[in-house]
Amino acid sequence: METIIQQYFDFSIMGDNLDAVLHGFVYTLELSLIAGVLSLIWGLILSVLRQLPGRGAAPIRALAIGYIDVFRGIPMLLIILLISGGLGAFAAEDVLPRWLAIPQWFGLPDNFWYGVFAITITYGAYMAEVYRSGIEAVPRGQMEASRSLGMSHGQAMRYVIVPQAVRKVIPPLLNDFIALMKDTSLVSVIGLLEVVQVGRDVYSSTFNSSALTMGAVLFLLVTIPMARFVDRLIAGQQSKMQRAIP
Amino acid sequence: MSVEAKNELPASGDSGQMIQLKGVKKSYGDLHVLQGIDTEIRRGEVVCVIGPSGSGKSTLLRCINRLEPPDEGEMYLEGKLIADSGQALNLVRRHIGMVFQQFNLFPHMNAVDNVSIGPRQVLDRPRKESDERARELLKRVGLSEKLEEFPDRLSGGQQQRVAIARALAMDPHVMLFDEVTSALDPELVKEVLDVMRELAEEGMTMIVVTHEMNFAREVADRVIFMDGGVIVEQGAPADVLGNPQQERTKRFLGLVLAT
Repeated sequence: METIIQQYFDFSIMGDNLDAVLHGFVYTLELSLIAGVLSLIWGLILSVLRQLPGRGAAPIRALAIGYIDVFRGIPMLLIILLISGGLGAFAAEDVLPRWLAIPQWFGLPDNFWYGVFAITITYGAYMAEVYRSGIEAVPRGQMEASRSLGMSHGQAMRYVIVPQAVRKVIPPLLNDFIALMKDTSLVSVIGLLEVVQVGRDVYSSTFNSSALTMGAVLFLLVTIPMARFVDRLIAGQQSKMQRAIP
Repeated sequence: MSVEAKNELPASGDSGQMIQLKGVKKSYGDLHVLQGIDTEIRRGEVVCVIGPSGSGKSTLLRCINRLEPPDEGEMYLEGKLIADSGQALNLVRRHIGMVFQQFNLFPHMNAVDNVSIGPRQVLDRPRKESDERARELLKRVGLSEKLEEFPDRLSGGQQQRVAIARALAMDPHVMLFDEVTSALDPELVKEVLDVMRELAEEGMTMIVVTHEMNFAREVADRVIFMDGGVIVEQGAPADVLGNPQQERTKRFLGLVLAT
């Protein structure tokens, strides 16, 4: 028992590494927020492309569906490795300009941005499917009423369908965001000093897991309130639905 | 020439003809919903379309504003052939108002926004002007107390009157009503029919798919009886409803009027 507590909850090691762990967690939060917002936008674009009407848009629809299938089907860890390896090589060969292949934007390191790319590419595909379920849940009559006023398909999507769809999918999108935040730890594989990587470094020099435990606690401090918030949103929506059906 | 070439259809006056249908057909797989519809609707005319369910009445309305593209046949709006390109249809639909059985109000907008969104986004009217007009229209359908309410706080009859105001906001040249009282509680039917009656008196061209035989008798200039995807019989309400010539019309009216 003593050993277990010492392995995971050694307060002197926690205290020594508090700054480093917190610093790593700031990376985790930045990565989550930037990649999360980009995924939300990219997912919406993908889902709208997927719903374009008419025969002329068939190739675009097929591309969007193909993209979503591919990137939902590949582990994100692989995507991270493919991107960092590929972009690094492209910079060396001058295929891509350095500012793009080795991005250092806003003073954040290149492996941070590789992580942002990989998360956005992957979670954009997940979120596109969530948006699609929301768009399909809007009754057909809404599109018909919009079109009967003379709106184009694009206007109907923008002013009528998407605003309703987004409201319906906020809870599942937040769930995806919680998953995204946890998956940022995968970016440690390309050496980003986010919270998990800091914990691993401490472990490899002390063989003690307490810094990792601290990282876990920091995750829970964010994810549990978010999960509760999602539950409340869902409960609110359900009671509203029950009011609508007398 | 198609309407595509011009942004606006000519204002009233040049021709008495509002809508002309020639050989309009529509099938869903093996189901032939419309089997060749030929008819004309004059400017200012109120036409009620009656018939058993599945007779193609609603599909006819939906073909007129191309929510369903017809498989065959031609349609003219104010003498101009309606082309099948998407942009041309967006222009045509501005001139054809439609009211639905299920109201289809936009649930995330209040009554004023429901009515003003069309003119604002489609006709690029400024917000102030379109909102002002929306309030006027809502007053006209008796909803001056409900301007800021959202659809889920309105009764079915009130929602349907907002839907009528929404269609009127586009200044349509013709209004289509698709069984607009069928989803309403009986005590709410009258308030909607009263609004429609007023519109008819003001000279609006209207095509009304309905089961309200009394409304058809009192308001319609002409009644069309449809069955099996064709127009079986048409004429003045007193003739079609009072003295039907066709066997199918008699049977249908016998069933409807018996209740």
